[in-house]
Amino acid sequence: METSDKKADSASKSRFDVSPMTLAADRWMGRLIRCGGVGVVLAVFGMLGFLIFQIFPLFSGAKVKVAAPIQFPADAVAFGEDEYGEMPFACLADGSIIFQRAQDGSKVLAWAPQLSGRRVTAIRSYPRSGMVLLGLSDGSVEELKVAYHSNFDAVGKRTLEPVVTASEPIQVGQAGSPCLDLWNAKGLSARLIVVQQTVAGKAKLTAVRQTERKGLGGKAKITTSEPFGVGAEVADFERVLLPSTADAVVLIRKSGEVRVYAEAGDNFVFSQSFTPFQGTADHHVAAAGMIFGNVSIVFVNGTGEQQVWSIYPQLQPDGLSQRRWGQIHEGEKLAGAGLGVYAAEGNKCYLAATEGLLQIHNMTTGSLRWEGAAPRFAIRQLAFAGNYDRFTALDVQGVLHRWELVDHHPESSWSAFFGKIWYEGASAPAYTWQSSAGSDEFEAKYSLVPLFYGTVKGTFYALLFALPIALTAAIYVSQFLRPEFRQVVKPVMEIMASLPSVVLGFLAGLWLAPLVDTRIVPLLCAVAVLAPAAIAAGFIWSALPQPWRRQVAPGMEFLWLLPFVVLCGWLAWISGPAIEAFFFTVKDSSSGLPIADIREWWRQSTGASYDSRNSLIVGFVMGFAVIPIVFTIAEDALSNVPNSLVSGSLALGASRWQTVWSVVIPTAISGIVSGVMIGFGRAIGETMIVVMATGNTAVMEANPFSGMRTLSANIAVELPEAAAGHTHYRALFLGACCLFLLTFVINTLAEILRQRLRERYKVV
Amino acid sequence: MSQIMNPPSASRIKVRPSSEREGRKDYISIRDYGFWYGQKKALDAISLDIPERQVVAFIGPSGCGKSTLLRNLNRMNDLVDDVRHEGDITIGGRSIYDAGLEVISLRRRVGMVFQKSNPFPKSIFENVVYALRVVGVRDRSVLDEACETSLRKAALWDEVKDRLDDSALGLSGGQMQRLCIARAIANRPEILLMDEPCSALDPIATGKIEELIHELKDQFTIVIVTHSMQQAARVSDRTAFFYLGKQIEYDTTEKIFMNPSQAQTEAYISGRFG
Repeated sequence: METSDKKADSASKSRFDVSPMTLAADRWMGRLIRCGGVGVVLAVFGMLGFLIFQIFPLFSGAKVKVAAPIQFPADAVAFGEDEYGEMPFACLADGSIIFQRAQDGSKVLAWAPQLSGRRVTAIRSYPRSGMVLLGLSDGSVEELKVAYHSNFDAVGKRTLEPVVTASEPIQVGQAGSPCLDLWNAKGLSARLIVVQQTVAGKAKLTAVRQTERKGLGGKAKITTSEPFGVGAEVADFERVLLPSTADAVVLIRKSGEVRVYAEAGDNFVFSQSFTPFQGTADHHVAAAGMIFGNVSIVFVNGTGEQQVWSIYPQLQPDGLSQRRWGQIHEGEKLAGAGLGVYAAEGNKCYLAATEGLLQIHNMTTGSLRWEGAAPRFAIRQLAFAGNYDRFTALDVQGVLHRWELVDHHPESSWSAFFGKIWYEGASAPAYTWQSSAGSDEFEAKYSLVPLFYGTVKGTFYALLFALPIALTAAIYVSQFLRPEFRQVVKPVMEIMASLPSVVLGFLAGLWLAPLVDTRIVPLLCAVAVLAPAAIAAGFIWSALPQPWRRQVAPGMEFLWLLPFVVLCGWLAWISGPAIEAFFFTVKDSSSGLPIADIREWWRQSTGASYDSRNSLIVGFVMGFAVIPIVFTIAEDALSNVPNSLVSGSLALGASRWQTVWSVVIPTAISGIVSGVMIGFGRAIGETMIVVMATGNTAVMEANPFSGMRTLSANIAVELPEAAAGHTHYRALFLGACCLFLLTFVINTLAEILRQRLRERYKVV
Repeated sequence: MSQIMNPPSASRIKVRPSSEREGRKDYISIRDYGFWYGQKKALDAISLDIPERQVVAFIGPSGCGKSTLLRNLNRMNDLVDDVRHEGDITIGGRSIYDAGLEVISLRRRVGMVFQKSNPFPKSIFENVVYALRVVGVRDRSVLDEACETSLRKAALWDEVKDRLDDSALGLSGGQMQRLCIARAIANRPEILLMDEPCSALDPIATGKIEELIHELKDQFTIVIVTHSMQQAARVSDRTAFFYLGKQIEYDTTEKIFMNPSQAQTEAYISGRFG
């Protein structure tokens, strides 16, 4: 008896014990779920972190490190260097050249010219091409070529061997008169050498043009033209700027007037004159420099004011457009008088020297990239390395100062990405995205504003098309349609959602766009007539006598609605051509005959463009992608409204529509808002459809018949061709980050709205 | 006040002069009524008359068809698919299946309170005036007055008068049910159907609702379905007992409970089955 009691006791104990396995599984699953949740949050922040990490370098300025200076003889007047700055040379006043190692300043080679009795009176060195021009006392010019040969010894160590070659002097200036200054430029077709002399007490410029003609044998034949004068009517010029294209000569006079002489046949003739600092107190141009690309000049006056002038098409009084110089920027005021403007190579930056201060500016954006202390003594010559990673300056004491420069994104700034910028060559400031072109001198334009605009525009048209259809369909299917049809419609819509967007884009671009192109009016008529037809069908239905209506079961009314609406749509479609002929007949510009063509009508009456791949097509097809998502979510929300509320409303004598409008929709509104927001998110991030059906031009027009380029399409199209780490690459990441923020902000706002609505219309 | 009693669209419902209504014995008349859900026959040959301004209780075990009959009185069963009926139901002499009669106007005339309270996710005020809103009453003073009158009739006014704009979902279960009653009577229907109105309520709330039914009897004809025999005995003037879709007995409440003529009725009310 006792034992059986004990048994029962122990059995009942174990019956209520929880097995350790159950507890362990519970604990482990709890941890696993927590890991999953934390992982999702980390992934989102990791993505944001990665994007920020990628775009961060865009907004940091240039970094400059001062390298050890090299002492050359004090009478050094010009310098040059090899590609890596390992062995600079200096030209002394007598025309001799001294090479020193950058590492330790040791002298490597000294070279002296053979002048046969003449003296060197002017020297100009072009460090990038290794060219040194010696102006001689008889007005002739001797060209020296400096080359560096790399030799590798047995252990593979590289040594540089400098070689100087002199060519025969060319008589450029007037014979007998010393050459005071000289310039060289090598364009595509010809090379120009200009010398300055003083003849009869007046400054005079003389030039020769050398053309190179390659024969079939491959041997180049160089022809030198007779010397000709340039700008003979002005003698008081202070500065000469020679674009490296060799097609113009720019003279700056003491008065601050700038005179441009353009190539015309064999000669240079006066083409334009302007005075940059006309409106300011100090007209005098203290420093000027031609920016890389040869179409812009930066002027600085004695008070440090900066102006940028550029050649761009301007409308002339005669109604024709002509490329002329005009001011495009007002630079930031410098601390003092300009002492020199030195253009960088390969981009639009320049170094402006003032008393004691060097500043690197970007011409286009006006941003200050770097500033630092200037050498103690005045600078004779300053040059940037070809790949914009160093700059070197020779001062009047013969010291060669060297700086190492790190500036990967000289063209980027907030204003470059989001501001309106007047690019050189453009006629007005604009928001422009153009990341590449055919020439090296091209300046990439990275404004994200047109892409934002395109994104918003595409989304707007998609939602304009999708939301009314998706929401009314959801209301109809959930509240009015018979359940057996509903069970068919819903899965079909969900299959529609799973259509790959590349297929939709393909259909839009290659099938729909050409199809719609010739049938816009019928299509618009048919679409426009659908909603009124549906409403009219409802009115006709409710006007029918009750016994007639009772023949049709509730939820089957579409059997009447559908044929009626289709018939109306078809009538509108076939009457489209007549409507087009009536409203949109214009005179054909080529034949002069009247034609019924809305595309021509649109062009002529609005002046806006008409593209075959336009916003309507995108809205239509992207709407097609958005509809199923919005429909499914909204339909679920509407179907989940408790039946007791619907019955309650109907029992109070409300009609079905009143019940839907004042009970069902408010109760489901938070779910409907979710559906709309998810549809919005889909439209804003949609890529393949917009890539294939928009034409991808980054235009900013509200015109519904023009294309667009969206942020997402831009990334898809350009990321494969962007070099990793380049400004272009990072600008695409910036676009991605903006897209992320845009959806983040809008989804957050929508979520707040949804929570409020849910709080307000929550059901017990 | 008169405007509230007869709001504009109520004119579509033919309101009889009160003298004619007084004491009419067959105000609601059910004749040989049968009803099917698909193949299943839920009601069979029901015939009963409900006098005006009386409380009639439908009792019977679960599944006996009493709720089905009640929901047919304002044609709420139309919402169910695949149903059909035979026989006829007339209210005030007119068939509710009359081809010329809009089901909406029928429901405005025959109000209903459900088993589970179903306030809309709106304010208390909007819940009460919902029926007036759907007939197009816009005048705020009319709505205010209707709201107060209905809430007073439903004995809820004193509890909610200071928070009419709060959500109705913040009320207690008993208050919600009384709110649903106020909502049902706001547009002055003639008949009030109550489908087990107290089944989810505690005894105190139940008592309040029962008192309310007593008071409303002066103005409305009330049909109540209940599982509680005590409740039927307390509130009703006449009682109908149903079993398996058939009407077993229909008589004054006193007779049904004191001296039923059918053995099944006697067995049910004395608690031997059900």
